[in-house]
Amino acid sequence: MWMKNDDELVEEVLRGDDVSFEILLRPYRQGILNMAYRMTENLEEAKEVCQDTLIKIYKYLYKFKKGESFQNWIYKITVNSTYDFLRKKKKYEEIVERQKSLAASINQDPEKQLLNKEIKNKIKACLQNLGPKEKAVFILRDGEGFSIKETSEILGCSSVSVRTNLLRARQKIKTQFEKIYPVEVRDVKR
Amino acid sequence: MKCKKVQRYLPLIVGSDISKSKVSEVKAHMEKCPECRNEYDSYVLSLGKTKEWLAKEREDWEDREWQQVVKIAIGDKEPELSPLALWPFRKVWAYVMMAVFAVVLTFFVIRPGFYKEGVIPGTRMVAESQAKLFESFKDKSEQDIISMTIVSKDTGLKIVWFFNKNFDLEDKK
Repeated sequence: MWMKNDDELVEEVLRGDDVSFEILLRPYRQGILNMAYRMTENLEEAKEVCQDTLIKIYKYLYKFKKGESFQNWIYKITVNSTYDFLRKKKKYEEIVERQKSLAASINQDPEKQLLNKEIKNKIKACLQNLGPKEKAVFILRDGEGFSIKETSEILGCSSVSVRTNLLRARQKIKTQFEKIYPVEVRDVKR
Repeated sequence: MKCKKVQRYLPLIVGSDISKSKVSEVKAHMEKCPECRNEYDSYVLSLGKTKEWLAKEREDWEDREWQQVVKIAIGDKEPELSPLALWPFRKVWAYVMMAVFAVVLTFFVIRPGFYKEGVIPGTRMVAESQAKLFESFKDKSEQDIISMTIVSKDTGLKIVWFFNKNFDLEDKK
């Protein structure tokens, strides 16, 4: 079956065909939800962010330039909407507080933590330790599989900045990972 | 290359986010340095596990929920168009043109005063034929009542009977 490309679908939406709007966004619906989810750490809040994102996409669709990547454009709007949301809800402070308490609890008794919680939650804890920008870079690059160049386009920053944040993010993840998943436990599991 | 420098590059090397020349330099160093090799393995493991978890734990929309979100996005406003966009692509213009067309159509086709006063559209022909019949009966017929109209009280339906000129309604003969 012949599939219309993003540019053609954008044209159709701008001509008033609302059905094309859903078709246009369908391939990215999971990606933007997960992007917002990793950033907010709450599924309901992520859906709220996505709602806001979709309203913005529909409203400002005429600003999208033909020939550019539509995927990058909507991720950019998603990231910015998430930042707005976090700012509004004063999430930054909440996250910092949560990170402090989490890091403290992990530091206190890492082996006990390992026994009581699932590995999944501990890796999630690794992500919580990242700052908003580091997290955005990490999720885009390692979670969603964007290249460094695409990530820099989405976040509106240089490739150097992306690499710097990515480096810090991976360092923090490794450090945290080693605290909650010590070498001796890893060896036993192997 | 020294260990300190190598370890600075390791987080980027695990994701192949650095130039190939640097990668080969670092790999050459790691072949001789087990400490850096261990560090590299730790990065591979932590990143690999985190990526695996991210891939496993992907959330998705329920179809109905997604349709609702899209509907709300579309429902509020129509997409804004560039000021340079041609007027036929603007919905408002389409509605205005439709309204103008409807007014023009009304003015030319259903003009007020098109029908004479007192004559209901569609009844004019019937009235004329009745008048002609009346004239034809006037001289020849012995019958002075030429028609009879029955009107239903319930439905308002009218039935007009025209009598033959030889029909004797009052049974005079």
